Amino acid sequence: MFDLPIEGAELLAVEFGDIVNYFSVYTAVLFVFALLFTVLAIISRPEKPVDIVFGGDAYYAKKIPPEQLRFQRFMAIACGLATLGAMISGDLFNFTLFSSMIGITNIGIVAAVKNKHVLEAAYQYGIVAMVATVPLFGGAAIALATTGTLSIWELAGAGAVPLLAKMLLVVGVMGEGMAPFYIGKAEITRAPGAPYVLMIHVSSLLLFLRVVEIALTV
Amino acid sequence: MIEYLIFAVFVGLLLHGIHRKAIARIQGRPGPPIWQEILHVLKFSFKETWIPATASQTLFVAVVIIAIGVWSTALFVLLTGGSLLLLFAVYMLHKIVEHGLGLSSGSPYGKFGAIRSVMSAASEIPLFATIAAIYLITGSLMISDIQAWQAAHGPLLFTALPAAIALYIVVLAKMHYSPFAVIESKEIVSGNVTEHFGVWRAGLEAAFGLKTFVLLYAFIVLFLGPMPLLLAAVAMVLLLLSLSFICALSPMLSPFDTVTIQIGTAGLIVVYVLLMGVIV
Repeated sequence: MFDLPIEGAELLAVEFGDIVNYFSVYTAVLFVFALLFTVLAIISRPEKPVDIVFGGDAYYAKKIPPEQLRFQRFMAIACGLATLGAMISGDLFNFTLFSSMIGITNIGIVAAVKNKHVLEAAYQYGIVAMVATVPLFGGAAIALATTGTLSIWELAGAGAVPLLAKMLLVVGVMGEGMAPFYIGKAEITRAPGAPYVLMIHVSSLLLFLRVVEIALTV
Repeated sequence: MIEYLIFAVFVGLLLHGIHRKAIARIQGRPGPPIWQEILHVLKFSFKETWIPATASQTLFVAVVIIAIGVWSTALFVLLTGGSLLLLFAVYMLHKIVEHGLGLSSGSPYGKFGAIRSVMSAASEIPLFATIAAIYLITGSLMISDIQAWQAAHGPLLFTALPAAIALYIVVLAKMHYSPFAVIESKEIVSGNVTEHFGVWRAGLEAAFGLKTFVLLYAFIVLFLGPMPLLLAAVAMVLLLLSLSFICALSPMLSPFDTVTIQIGTAGLIVVYVLLMGVIV
């Protein structure tokens, strides 16, 4: 796509005025994956977590309040929708907006869990995600200031976006949940509601895969 | 395409068998026959199967299908000379399969495996540094272009040795019995696959066989260039045996050590890529 040997052929472009979203072979695969896990979050019933009694052979099943799981599902679906948007966005600013929304909804997915370790991890992850929005929007702002546009269509292959802007975009997305800023997510994974907690990882990973494509393209 | 898929699954399972045999011989044990993993898959395929009462049932089954789909896509991309970026996107999506396997069952052992899987996500960072290095040298991320570049200029193994080492560590991290394989460590039973048995385990083993085939073949294609199938097969076995030696002689690392080593490798490769970017 864009006559660049990076992401395979163009499949479809969806215009919203001057904002043109696109599906290449690469972004379409990411979109389908995000869609798959969003559907799974909608249709899957959560697991019934079993815990081990420390120092013995006993097991017990934890009871999770249904209203907590409903809220988790709502946030997971919101996260899935934001991820879908980020996968096909043809505009740098929209991409950063979707990225920030993913960061917020990721915290939301575990915010209702009444577990000290999970809440502390979510709090720490939230701080990193919020701080990461500075380089994220900073990268987009520098790209706009130097080129006069945020459209990936116009920037593709031109090499006009400074390396600093690309690095800030990548660092910003990494702060939304990739290594080495992701470690709080290990504790978050203790939260119940597998189809919803999984969306935290799906969104972060897909976001990173998309920003790599953007950094190589613009 | 389906014949390639079946071929790759069987070869991948055979490679798993060779891996186990080599590890056993290095450790002074007789080890299982090399076709043992194929027999395992056949056995599991006909075992009684059900879904644990505590599991998220849809997700429990879906991750198995996704695992097969993910690696089938990777094989397709590799064989058709598609985008390297897509191939490694698929590799990273395997991480979601690992999380999903552990989380979906409700088992505490599966959950420990999933938590460790999140921590070991650091292994994906050297991967993208590798991609960046290859892109800087060859000017393309299409596997067909990279092969053409190597046909004209010689193997990338010599031109981009640090990138090859980074990918080698990535492949090592995904091997059974690897020092980085903390997600399936025995102190947490079988980690994230503890509760998947019967047909589900057969499907997973087939997908993991496919994964091993794709990763080894991708390494050969990316760093040694195009070669006849028989020669490629020999190169894959040699590569596998080198990995088996490391797996046989290295203890399982602690989860935090795996992260330290992988992040350290990633840091070195990023420095290499930045230097190369400046020089190029």
